[in-house]
Amino acid sequence: MVTVANPAATWNWATPSYPQVSASDRLDADTQLVERCLSGQDAAWEDLVKLHNRRVYSICFRFTNNGSEAQDLTQEVFLRVFKNLKSFRSGEGLFVVWLTRLTRNLLIDHYRRTRMERATESLEDQAGALEENTAMMARTEGMLAGREASELLQAALQKLSPDLRETVILRDLEELEYREIAQVLNVPEGTVKSRLNRGRAELARVLRRHKVRI
Amino acid sequence: MTCAELEILLCDYTDGTLPAEERTALESHLAGCPACAQLAADIAGVTAFIETVATIEPPAELVTRILHQIPDGKQAERRSWWAKLGGGWLQGVLQPRYVMGMAMTILSFSMLARFAHIPDRPLRPSDLDPVKAWQSIDDRGHRIWDHAMKYYDNLRLVIEIQSRLKEWTDQDQIVDSSPRKPDAGTSENKR
Repeated sequence: MVTVANPAATWNWATPSYPQVSASDRLDADTQLVERCLSGQDAAWEDLVKLHNRRVYSICFRFTNNGSEAQDLTQEVFLRVFKNLKSFRSGEGLFVVWLTRLTRNLLIDHYRRTRMERATESLEDQAGALEENTAMMARTEGMLAGREASELLQAALQKLSPDLRETVILRDLEELEYREIAQVLNVPEGTVKSRLNRGRAELARVLRRHKVRI
Repeated sequence: MTCAELEILLCDYTDGTLPAEERTALESHLAGCPACAQLAADIAGVTAFIETVATIEPPAELVTRILHQIPDGKQAERRSWWAKLGGGWLQGVLQPRYVMGMAMTILSFSMLARFAHIPDRPLRPSDLDPVKAWQSIDDRGHRIWDHAMKYYDNLRLVIEIQSRLKEWTDQDQIVDSSPRKPDAGTSENKR
């Protein structure tokens, strides 16, 4: 049985992830908010955190598969935002892209830092893998519920390499444009598409191995 | 269309944003290439699966935790220069090991000052006059030098070495100044 990685987090599949707003609207709203923050308005920081914490937390949680780590990393991201907000130039791109790049860099640092810990943990995980597969056999028929699908996807994402994982998260879960992902990852748009194809194909193989019908 | 060309267009095809002409070419390739057809099916299946996935909501207390750790904007502006000074190099210096090192240095200097008979008295405004301060330092410097030289000259080892050297020098001078006997060597050979 797949364990719930973060009991504190709740799943909501009835509502869309983020409000659908155009890039120009997002640019204006975020730019104004950033200006308010830089001018020293206390309430602006609160608005900024409330507006963007879900996106940052979601990326961190999807990447690390650990609620506690995701919370710590989200806090760290906003602390960095607070320290480095002056370096954000609204003319050079969207705030969301800047924030996502900052989050991604922190996640990569965290990934490198905890590499050794994960190497030892992965051996322990293998013991539970069989039990997990057997439990998944029961889910082959019919459509999986949103929360269950989320847990399965979460487990499958951890099997991908960081390059492919982050690309899939940014495109398929955070719904960023290819151009924005290219800016976040600092790679050409073609590389983003190539990684996305490989990531999705790998994800399909992992899910199929776990007896999930896709 | 080659398999590599197809892979470039596959994302746009999945998004449904591929122009009709390219879509037709791509689909005709898929019809004749099982590997690409499998790839396209996998990608379509995964994207459909991800659409059913629930979004993740952060814990309610996260916003409070973040705001609690972030100081307010005004405070940050006001403290920026101090943060740079105090949070930058000064924070690095104020480590226990450095503080201990500084304390030991001060202690050593105070012991040296006591050893050099430098009286410790409260600082007066007149002590800050540069001319006086320089004269005082110069005077103390000479005194310390004299003390050191006197101490050195009075060391037993130094005195012994100096007296031995003097003896050798004197002996050499006596040998050099004594009159030579030019025929002494010749007469002995003859014997």
